[in-house]
This record gives sequence, C-alpha cells and structure tokens, in this order.
Amino acid sequence: MSVNPVLMQVFKNRFAAIAEEMGVTLNRTAFSPNIKERRDFSCAIFDRCGDMIAQAAHIPVHLGSMPLSVKAAIGSGSMREGDMVMLNNPFQGGTHLPDITLVAPVYTGSDDTEPSFYVANRAHHSDVGGMTSGSMPLSTSIYQEGVIISPLKIVENGEIDRKLMDFLLTNVRTPHEREGDFAAQIMANLTGAQRSRDLVDKYGLATVNRYADSLNDYSERITRQAIAAIPDGSYEFEDFLDGDGIKQKNIRLAVRLEIDGDEALLDFTDCDRQVSGSVNAVYAITLSAVLYVFRALVSEDIPTNAGCLRPLQVITRKGTIVDAEFPAAVAGGNVETSQRIVDVVLGALARACPEKVPAAGQGTMNNTTIGGIDERTGRPFTYYETLAGGVGGTARNQGESAVHSHMTNTLNTPIEALEYSYPFQVTEYSIRKNSGGKGRFSGGDGLVREIRLLSDAEVTVLSERRSHPPYGLFGGNPGKPGRNLIYRDSQERQMPGKFSERLHKGDCIRIETPGGGGYGVTPDTDEHS
Amino acid sequence: MLIIGVDTGGTFTDFIWKDGDQWGEYKLLSTPANPAEAVLEGIEHIAANRDYSLVHGSTVATNAILEKRGALTALITNRKFEDVIEIARQNRGRLYDFFYRKNQPLVPRELRFGLPGRVNQVGEIIEELTEADIETLLDPLATAEVESIAVSFLFSFNNPEHELMVRKVLARLGIPLSLSHETLSEFREYERTSTTVINAYVSPKMRRYITFLSDRIGEHPFRIMQSNGGSISAETAMRESVRTILSGPAGGAVGAFELGRMAGFPRLITFDMGGTSTDVALIDGKLPLTMESSIAEYPVKVPMIDIHTVGAGGGSIASIDAGGSLKVGPESAGADPGPICYGKGEKITVTDANLFLGRLIPDHFLGGHMDLDLSLLQQHFATLAEKLKLSPTELAEGVLDVANTTMDRAIKVISVERGFDPREFTLFSFGGAGGLHAAYLARDLNMPQVFIPRNPGILSAAGMLMSDVIKDYSQTVMLNDEEIAEETLEQQFQPLEMRGREDLREEGVAAERIELELYLDMRYQGQSYEIMVPYGADFREQFHRLHEKTYGYCNREKAIEVVNVRVRALGRPEKPEFPRLPYVGERLPAAALLDERPVFFDGNSEKTRIIQRDQLQHGNLIDGPAILVEYSATVVVPPFATGRVDQFGNIILTIEH
Repeated sequence: MSVNPVLMQVFKNRFAAIAEEMGVTLNRTAFSPNIKERRDFSCAIFDRCGDMIAQAAHIPVHLGSMPLSVKAAIGSGSMREGDMVMLNNPFQGGTHLPDITLVAPVYTGSDDTEPSFYVANRAHHSDVGGMTSGSMPLSTSIYQEGVIISPLKIVENGEIDRKLMDFLLTNVRTPHEREGDFAAQIMANLTGAQRSRDLVDKYGLATVNRYADSLNDYSERITRQAIAAIPDGSYEFEDFLDGDGIKQKNIRLAVRLEIDGDEALLDFTDCDRQVSGSVNAVYAITLSAVLYVFRALVSEDIPTNAGCLRPLQVITRKGTIVDAEFPAAVAGGNVETSQRIVDVVLGALARACPEKVPAAGQGTMNNTTIGGIDERTGRPFTYYETLAGGVGGTARNQGESAVHSHMTNTLNTPIEALEYSYPFQVTEYSIRKNSGGKGRFSGGDGLVREIRLLSDAEVTVLSERRSHPPYGLFGGNPGKPGRNLIYRDSQERQMPGKFSERLHKGDCIRIETPGGGGYGVTPDTDEHS
Repeated sequence: MLIIGVDTGGTFTDFIWKDGDQWGEYKLLSTPANPAEAVLEGIEHIAANRDYSLVHGSTVATNAILEKRGALTALITNRKFEDVIEIARQNRGRLYDFFYRKNQPLVPRELRFGLPGRVNQVGEIIEELTEADIETLLDPLATAEVESIAVSFLFSFNNPEHELMVRKVLARLGIPLSLSHETLSEFREYERTSTTVINAYVSPKMRRYITFLSDRIGEHPFRIMQSNGGSISAETAMRESVRTILSGPAGGAVGAFELGRMAGFPRLITFDMGGTSTDVALIDGKLPLTMESSIAEYPVKVPMIDIHTVGAGGGSIASIDAGGSLKVGPESAGADPGPICYGKGEKITVTDANLFLGRLIPDHFLGGHMDLDLSLLQQHFATLAEKLKLSPTELAEGVLDVANTTMDRAIKVISVERGFDPREFTLFSFGGAGGLHAAYLARDLNMPQVFIPRNPGILSAAGMLMSDVIKDYSQTVMLNDEEIAEETLEQQFQPLEMRGREDLREEGVAAERIELELYLDMRYQGQSYEIMVPYGADFREQFHRLHEKTYGYCNREKAIEVVNVRVRALGRPEKPEFPRLPYVGERLPAAALLDERPVFFDGNSEKTRIIQRDQLQHGNLIDGPAILVEYSATVVVPPFATGRVDQFGNIILTIEH
C-alpha cells in the first residue's frame, strides 16, 4: 500500500504528541521531586510487536532499554484490557532497580484478542529499598540494591492488585511517595492508551499501523544516511572507569567501530569482565548509549524508534562490564558506565568524522544520595540528585558549562525547595571555574555543590572521572577530574569517587564535578599536560 | 471621553478608539526605530486636540530581551551563589545536539557580585550582612558603569532585610534597583532571580520610552498593557516593566474574552495565526493565567495570560525532509523574501498553498494593495509535487494539512493536556491568516463552532481598550496541613490586600470599583507543582476538585500544603459595548457578492462565492463553500461549514462533523 508523504508527517506529529502528553501527565501528577522537578522519566508508544514507534525526548538512557522492557512484559503472559505490567529487573528488561517501568496494552476493537499497541513509561523512583537510602548503593550484588520486580501484573482489569502493591510498598523507605508516583505512572499510561484509541477512531487501525511501520522505515532511512556520511573503515577507542568502589580500579571499556556503507557495527567484546561493585551495565544500557550517539549524529527531527536501531549492530560478550550477568550489582551501570560507553563510541567516531563529535563531557552524573531522619520533624527523608558538569568542546564551539551531557538531562532541585524539604543548608552552588580543558575550543566548566547537614545522615556518592579525566581531542587538554570532599570541624577530607558514609549534623559534603575536554590546540598558549 | 487603545506590532500600529457611542479604528505602519512616533501620529489623527485617555501595548520590553539590547545590568546575590542564574536548571534545551549552547545569561559573570549574609527557610538570619560589606560594591558598580541593578538573595521573600539594606546603601549611586522580594515574592531562586534580572534589564529602556511618550502626551491619562491582561499606569510600568512582556498577545486574549462574552461565547479557544508564529489560549469563562512563562529561554514567573506559541504561520516553508516526507516549517520565509507569491520568495509557503488552491483572493488581499502573483506558483508546485509523487493540488492541500497538525497540537497542549475537552469550546479565530485555517482546525478537533470577530486584525488594540486595571501580588508562605487555619491565611492575605487597595487608589481607581480576588497556590504535601485555587470557605474541597480536573485524580485523605497566597486587585472600568446591528435577514445583500470562482476543497474544484465581508448584515447566512474577504483578513467557509452574522457583525461558523 502506498504511503502518503503528507500523512507521514501528520502521523509523525501525532505519535510524538501521544508520547509527550503521557510525559506531561506523569510529570504533573507524580509526587516525588525526582520525577516532577527533575523529570527523570520517559514515555513511549510501541506497536503490536513491542517495537517502539515514538518516544518523547526525555532521558536518553531509557532509549534503547524501554523496548526491551516492553518485550519482557509481553513475554510474561497475556495482557488484557485494563491490565498493566510493572518491572525493574535489570536481567529481564530493566536497567537498574530505581527505574521502574509500567507497560499497558492498548486494545482498539471491542473483540480484539491481541493489543494493537502498547504504551509504557519509566520513572526513576528515589527509593526502592536495599542497603542505603535512595537505592544507589555501593553494592556487590543485585540483592543489596532493592526490591526486584520481574514483570508482574500490578493492575488487573483496571484494579490495582492491593496485595502486590502493599508488598512492594513494605519494601521501600518512602512508601507514601512511591504510591503517589505509581499512581502517576498509571495515569500516564491511561492517557497514552486513550490517545492511541482516538487516533485509531479517526484513521482506522490499518492506516495507523501502516504509518507506524512507515515511520520506522523513515527513521531507519535517515539514520542510514547519517552513517553513510561517515567514511568506511574500522576505528578503535578505549577509555577507563575509575573503579567499582569496592576493589577493581581502572576498568577498561573498548570499542571497535566498523562503518560499512550505511551500516555500523560496534564490537564491545574486548571490554573488561563485570566487576564486584555496582558499575556493571546490562546490555540494554549499552544499546541505549549507542543509539543515543547515532541519534545525535542525525540532524533532522526524526522519531526515535525501532527503525533507528536497524542499521546498528551492537556486539557484546556476556559477563562483561557492558553486558553484565545476574546477580551483578548494577545500580551505577545505568548512570555512570552508560556515560563511558558514550565516551568510547564518540572517541572512535572522532577518528572517523572529527568534525561531527565533541571531546569528552564530564562523563558522570555525580549521583548523590542523602538519607536519614529529619530532626526537625522526626520523619525519614531521602534525597537523590545528579549534578551537571562540563561538556566537551567541538570543532565549532566551546563546550557548555554546568549542564547535563549525553545520557541524562535531569533538572536540579532548587536550593529553596531543597531547604524546605530536607534538613540541609546549601552553602555553595557555583560554576567550577577553569575546570574545562583548554583547547582551540575549550571544554565547559563543571560545577560545585556544597551542602551542610542539619541532621545526621547517610551520604552515598556514586561518581566517576575522579582519576581518569574527560579526554580532550586533537591537542585539546583534558577536563579537570571531579572531587568529592567532606568537611568536619573545618577538617577537609578528600573522598573517593564512590563512597558511603554516615555524617553528623554540621558536616559538609562538597562535590566538584568534572570539566569537559578541550578540542584542538590552543593558539598561542603553551601546551602541557 | 475619548479612549484610545493602541497596539504596536512589527508591521502595523493598530488603533481603536471609542468616544461615547462612536467607535473607530485606524492603522499606521510601525516606526521600529522609535515606536512612539507612529503612536503619536495616530493619536494626533484621532484626538485632534481633544481630551483623551490612552491604553498602550508596547513591545519595548519584549524586544529589549529578544534583541539583547536592554540595560547594562549587574546582579547582587549571596556569595557563592553568583552562578545560579547561569546554571539555570542544569538541563540542556536540545537532547540530541553535541553542539548545544545555552542562551547566555543577561548578566555576565563579571557583573555578578556576591555578598555575605544568609536567610533560611523560616526567615531567620543565619549569617549577617553589614553595610560595610555592601559598600565594597560601590566602586566596582560605578566603574563598570552599570545602568541597572538586580538584587536577589536566597529566601528574601521570607525576610527582605538584606535586600532592603542593599537598596539603602546603594541609593547614593542613583542607579535603579530591582529587588527580588518586590518583583516576585516567591520561592525557587533561579526563577525569582531570572524574573528580577529581566525587570532590571528592561526597566531603563521602558522608562526612556514612556518618558518620551509622556512628555508629548502631557496631562492625558496614560496606561500600559501588562501580560496579565490588565493595564497599569505608565508610572508603575516604568518600575515593573517585566510585567509588560507579551502585552500584545495578552491584548488579543482580553479582546477575545470580552467580545466572546458580549456575544454569548464565554468558553473559547483563541487562535491567532500570523506570518511566522501562531498563538493559542484557552478561555473558560475567565482569562487563563500561568506563572510558568518564559521569554528567550529565560523564565518569567509573574502571572501572565497563558498563551502558547508555536513557530508556524503563513510564512512557514514547505520542504521534503531527508526521509521523503512533506515538512512544513519551522523555517519561515518571514517578510523578506516572503512567500513566492509576494514576488521574491523561492520556497513554497503556507500562504502560497492557500493562494494556489484559490482560497486567497489576490484582488482583495490587503485591499488589493499587495500584488499576489499566482503565475509564479505553478512551476514551483509542479516541481515539488513531482518529487513527492503527488498532484500539485494534493501538495497544496497537504501543506495545509501538515501546518494544521502543528496548530492542532498547539491547541491540544492548552486543552486536553490541561484537562479540557476542545469540543466544549468555540474556536475564536483572529489575525490575518486565522480565518483560512480555522474551519479545518475545528473539524480536526471536533469543535462545533468558529467565531470570527469583526475587525479580526485589530483585536489586540480592542482588548487593551476593554482591559481592567490589574495588579497581582503573591507571597510564598509554605504552610503545611496542620498550619492551615483560616486566621493564619487571613493574616497572610491582609498585607497584600492592603497594598492592592492602596496601589489601585493610586492608579486612580475609585474605591467602590476595586475588586480583590484571593487565591491560594496549593498542592499535596510532597508535590512540586501548585494549583491556583480561589480562596473561599471550601478551598480544600475546591483544591481536590481542581486537582482531579487537571490531573485526573485527587485524594481527600492526603495532607495538603499552601505554598503561596495571591491577591489580584482589579479596577473594573465600565465595559464599552459595541453597537448592535439591526436584524436584516438571511439573504445576503447583492453588494456583498463579489464574484464566483473555482476553489479546491478536498481535491475537488468547487464553484465558490467570494463575499465582501463589510457588506454583510445581521442575520445573513453563508453556506459553504464561500470565501469572505476584508481589508486585513480572509475567511474560508468550506463546504462542511455554514456562516451566520450576529448582531455585532461577528461571524459564527457551524461545522458539520
């Protein structure tokens, strides 16, 4: 059947609008600041096979992994009208435990036996149990990271399964907040399902399906064009994670990128084995990171969908840092290792098409979790936040300062909101001057966030690029590595990149995030380090 | 007494005036170098030495920001927090862009000064600020020759002592200061600081502009339109210029609201399609307000009419994207080179597609003063159509379909995404190009009717004429459930109410014409978004209901919080009524019928009447297809619509679904 170029554009808009409206609903109705203020969530619509049709531009690390969640949900048994399946198991379609995905089928005909579409959303919950508040621990096994949810039907025939929900809520530190967020996730899916049905009412299922397929072909075509513009060849790059926070240091990530016409093969088999600590990434994360890079190489506004993946082949070896096996600890793989995967793919691309990619950005999300009992109210609290840093310079411009790069794009929590909600006093929030690597186009600067605790609390930091700095390109200097500091009684203590520590009322925690790498040789300045 | 409303636009400066029962309008080319020239020329033409009062919508503040030509501004804030304004919310505006750069802050690093002193969330001073600390800034500020200063300290809305100290010590510099607790007494430091900086940045420009005008207007009362839909005295506008950003679109919304109300249409979705962008707003019996606006990526948190803008309009360019599908916009041909039919353009635009289909009538476009060249279109349409394997007519209708999807989405953002069903609203279409698309949009959105006002081209100016005097006040109070008691709230409202009454009296509003509206910004404990709830005995219940309407659920068991208290002080002038036309009948007067021409609708060429709108009379019925032409606008009545002229000369289209 023929595809009309006009309807194609119309459907492109309509599908995107569905995913975006789901996001608006989730954002507006959620309870936790993590979702509402920081917008750490994603929404997407999938076809009857679970292939992604469109995803709202929310959080890139969810890109490649959402479809695997949906497929895992489909594989777990039939979903009837009014059902929703929840999951977070990284070894069954998830990424790390705080990211909980909710999948709903969309039935469009009254006597359909199979769903016509699926809608799904994923939100980062600020606590899912486990060994430390905030569930981003320095763990050595998945079991320490929180409650594991393999695909299970949490909503059946429009009713929340109360027993399951109560069981889940019993296993988390802030049940009240979780329940509110789950309600928002349910609402988002209901919205998405309704809008999908509206679309079918207007155009008919056959037409909607035809254009869903065509949009995948469309994104595939444009992605292929972008790859075809890269010179054929084999390009290699390696970089390192500082360590796993337990025992391994200098964990190697390496990629061999082969460009062949309009297809790309990314071979990660040479990466180090999975480690004891929590920086292991499951395959879904590696796929997301690769997809992000190639999506950004496309300058057109295309739907991010299954078609984008077709020209890409991502090869990994099971049991490695980029394809971890059960029961690896994975809390940090999603947030930290994902960034390093991007760094190595970009490093390889820099050898193929130097003008199209930046030097390394901060390469970490500086995950900071603080939890305890608020002395002022006697109530428990959990605060989780990621901090921005420098972006790498490019062939055209300096890297931006104090902004999130690559795999995340979450907002900060306003200082005044923070001090209303938590027993903290923020004592500094500034740009870390001169932390970007110098170059013809310098990297952007990182930032400084310093918090004084007004109650005893447990502080966990999961950060990278504290020893291996963000690389520069073509003679540009590397960015300054980040630093984590604790002050007690005016004594400064430099902390490792990953640590968990009980701090006292009055102590300060200071995070200085890395600068981006510079690009090209600085004219008229002496070159060093 | 003669009242004049004037709206300065990019191309035209529009005037509408009322003198007793007499109404009139006037249009002049704008004078961008000094917009006041056109304003003064128009006033002289209309008033001719008579007494008058003036309400003016100005783009001076908006343009100062868009063109980055505001005052050289310094920012004084807490030490170690000077970069809050640069870090913003730490996210990037485009997700998949390796080359992304933020819009740089309006105050560069070297003009941001940090001082000691800290207030906490309950308003206690936990670190002192001394006058000596502030005095250290005297030299650097003088040396830098700054023209304006923004002052924003953390939690100043809970305790403004430090900001007031800065004002006192720096007074000797004679530089205007904007203090954050006065500009926006609400929490969230980045947004409050941004709003304060914008105020500091645009106020000196606004002051110069208003002073220039005032000097020439003399004693005549002179008010400025604000973005909240009300007007304020020119004197106040010089100090609170941030409140005048987007005053033009606000005028349009007020105009739609008042005209709709007069004609019996209180629930409207407004649709203002221009050359490069389109504004939409939802009016549900009252003007919609938002506290979440921004301009050029800078947040502005003072209340504004909630207007959503998308970058699609008559000048949007059609092209084939890399994947082979037809794309319309966001690139625009603008005024130069403009659409192909204007003579210089090379790329097909939405306007060209309308002309190609016969929906724009060259002889009547801007009264025939502008040549539209249909012959230039054939080749361009044939070429692009062939590439897309479409017929040229399919292409032209396709361009409109794709453009309409963008508009459709914009309307959904302000309706369905906020819990409103567009089917319950009337589409109020104005601006030059709105009438070409409105019936199609209404059909797509299942909206039953389209309202096209009389003189759709000068609606903003009309809105200014009909606006109330409005001043908004707010204060963050952050009361948790146990703290919310009636007397506590009354206590919080009281100072704002007093200021409202005082300020309105100063604005010249008689005490008996002052109305105060009280609102609470509420949320469930733990949420971060607030809902504005009218304050009354049942405010808790109201909150739950509004929450359910907006977000689809509510929970009466859950603890609530009152985040802000708000007071809106209104001075309601007597609303001017438009003259009513006598009922004549359904039959069109012969003089209205200009021509009959073939026009394409859904792939078919249909014989279509071309009708002179000015000749229509109350009661006239227009069966589609028909095209209504007037000086600055064209209305397409497709075969699936019927038009009717009401007693004010508005046209109501009924859409067949």
